[in-house]
Amino acid sequence: MRRMLAVLSILGLALPIAAPALAQQGTLEKIGQSGVLTIGTRTASPPFAFVNKQNEWVGFSIDLVEQAVKPAIERKLGKPITIEKKESTPPTRIPLLSSNAVDLIAGTMTDTRARRESVDFSLTFFVTGAQFLVKKNSPIRGIESIAGRRVAAQQGSTNAKLIRERMPTARLQEFPDQPAAFQALAQGQVDAYTNDGIQLYGLRAKAPRPDDWKVVGDFFSYEPYGMAMRKNDSDFRHAVNVGLMEAIESGKYFELYDKWFGPNGETPYPLTPENKRFLIMQVVPK
Amino acid sequence: MLDLSVIVNNFAFLVVQGLLGLGGFTGGTLRLAIPAIVLGFVLGIFIGIARLARAWWISLPATLYVEFFRGVPLVMVIFWIWFIIPQLLRRPIPEYGVALTAFVVFEAAYFGEIVRAGIQSVPRGQVEAATALGLTRAQSMRFVVLPQAIRNMVPSLVTQMIVLFKDTSLASIIGYVDLTKAAQIVNNREIRPFELYLFIAVVYFVFTYSMSRIAARFERRLA
Amino acid sequence: MHYDFHWQVLWSGQSGRWLLQGLGTTLAISSLAWLLAVGLGILSGALRTVPWKALRAVAAFYVEFFRNVPLLVWMFFWYFGVPPLLPEAAREWLFDHGAEFWAGMFALGVYHGARMSEVIRSGIQSIPKTQFEAAVAMGLTTFQAYRLVILPIALRLIVPPATSESLNLLKNSSVALTISVAELTFQTRQIETYTARAIEALTAGTVIYLVLCVGIATIMARVERRFAIPGLIARGG
Repeated sequence: MRRMLAVLSILGLALPIAAPALAQQGTLEKIGQSGVLTIGTRTASPPFAFVNKQNEWVGFSIDLVEQAVKPAIERKLGKPITIEKKESTPPTRIPLLSSNAVDLIAGTMTDTRARRESVDFSLTFFVTGAQFLVKKNSPIRGIESIAGRRVAAQQGSTNAKLIRERMPTARLQEFPDQPAAFQALAQGQVDAYTNDGIQLYGLRAKAPRPDDWKVVGDFFSYEPYGMAMRKNDSDFRHAVNVGLMEAIESGKYFELYDKWFGPNGETPYPLTPENKRFLIMQVVPK
Repeated sequence: MLDLSVIVNNFAFLVVQGLLGLGGFTGGTLRLAIPAIVLGFVLGIFIGIARLARAWWISLPATLYVEFFRGVPLVMVIFWIWFIIPQLLRRPIPEYGVALTAFVVFEAAYFGEIVRAGIQSVPRGQVEAATALGLTRAQSMRFVVLPQAIRNMVPSLVTQMIVLFKDTSLASIIGYVDLTKAAQIVNNREIRPFELYLFIAVVYFVFTYSMSRIAARFERRLA
Repeated sequence: MHYDFHWQVLWSGQSGRWLLQGLGTTLAISSLAWLLAVGLGILSGALRTVPWKALRAVAAFYVEFFRNVPLLVWMFFWYFGVPPLLPEAAREWLFDHGAEFWAGMFALGVYHGARMSEVIRSGIQSIPKTQFEAAVAMGLTTFQAYRLVILPIALRLIVPPATSESLNLLKNSSVALTISVAELTFQTRQIETYTARAIEALTAGTVIYLVLCVGIATIMARVERRFAIPGLIARGG
């Protein structure tokens, strides 16, 4: 009995050491082998990625992956692939990528210099900025008027950090995810909820009574959304960018934009000429 | 005042996706709880026996294991597994795997203690009689001690299984769509927290209370 | 595995301060919840053993319902589900004064009150009935008998399982991070999101919890020895 236990414990110690150190594979190779592109995306950030009334997981970012990025990768690999979706939130996005749990973050992630130290970004696929969502009759007008007020944000988001830096007197309450934070706003536990303007518009559109809410404040940050992926993987990054570029060039991007942000979309948010030009100019010649 | 239509409309999603785990999301309370209970108990048996081993290099690690996991919150253990293990193994781990590993590893410490207490509650006379009859230590454990120990352990074991079942709700923190997360998803759309959370409280209650009633009957039959 | 350890992030910058704040919040919410839990536990544990069926039933319902539902569900229930039921003025006041802390405290206290109740009940039931009968024979009312004879003995008997439950309370305070209470586990996540140093942050939090739990367990073992009534509890020798 003792001998058996001894052998078992030695095996138990030896296994982790003997575990083959997998060479860092390129993501394209990995997808080629498994046939699956795993993306990390949100479940409650309408209209980018959310669960609709039919309890389906849909959104603009998800559509971009399925209709712009997927065909480009399939063409590159020469075989069909499937998309698998996992939930990711601001605190977990980068760890999920670096631990290989997902290959691509396609949701509402802002491209920043600091983040580029840990991940690589695709082209910018959406432009917005941080604002506040408040109740219709709230006196809050923007970042100057939130001093001393209760503000909800998501733990780990750029908005939370900015509020901390620029308005330390604001009483910041950080929640693990958007549903909890919005809930706190809806019930009055906080006076305002900060997030990127477009996400606030999306939340508002989905609320039981949209007219009860308004989005206020000038952009107190510039938020270009990009899709994040592991560093130093230029082949994969190129494939994703080619997918996005082709979608912009062929008009597919604007079709999807209209579907979600057009006048009949989930969240009307007209594309300014300036932003449209910016998107088009990201498409480099063939 | 109480708007139960939100429960009725979303009942299918809450129960089929949240409880059973069938649907578009990775989830399901039962899908997580049942394997976690089984595997946690099995690992717990090894740890409980290891704690009673005479060789210090077996009993000491087992003791450290138990003391460690009983001194940290389960939420912390979930975060450890979630962040660190995929980095160590350089492989992606789905959140089902993360949650299952965290629960098994954590609860095994508690199951281990129950097993240890159960074994130690068997009177020494039994072990001595077994040795007198010529059984080896392993044989006496298998044929004399463990059967009696298991009978003593049953109440505490079931209590611990109920605890584990409730603990599966913490998997929702990492996005696993169990019953609690399913309620959150619906609530975010419908904003009816009182009804929704009361409903899932009742569902959890029905399960755990039934488990304890079945255990009580089982206990009486064994006595 | 390639990982650059940067332990200095723990004490440079804001991390050290956050850890201390988190620790303070954890201790605060746990102590208050513990007082609530002990109070509810003694009350309902005792009520489950009295001769009046109605009181026993009420206490039994409280215990069975509240301890069979996960704490996380209670957290959401108390923070999101309960405030809308309060009058507007009370609600506004609550939101302005740390609603999440109080909701978390109540969730923790009421849940653990139900669990503590079982511990106390088994302590009371392990006291020989003759003690109670003797007290009544000497002219004490039921209430006096409980207060002066039964409970003092029961509380000493249950120090080990009660300590275990109290430590569970301390560890369960971590669940409050889901309703934005900035307790210790929340702060370890915070450090991780600002510095991306997951292992260092998690280690700091884990060590603090271990020190707290082992420390409290050791102190309570000493307390038990000191307050033990000689001859009442069969000591293992």
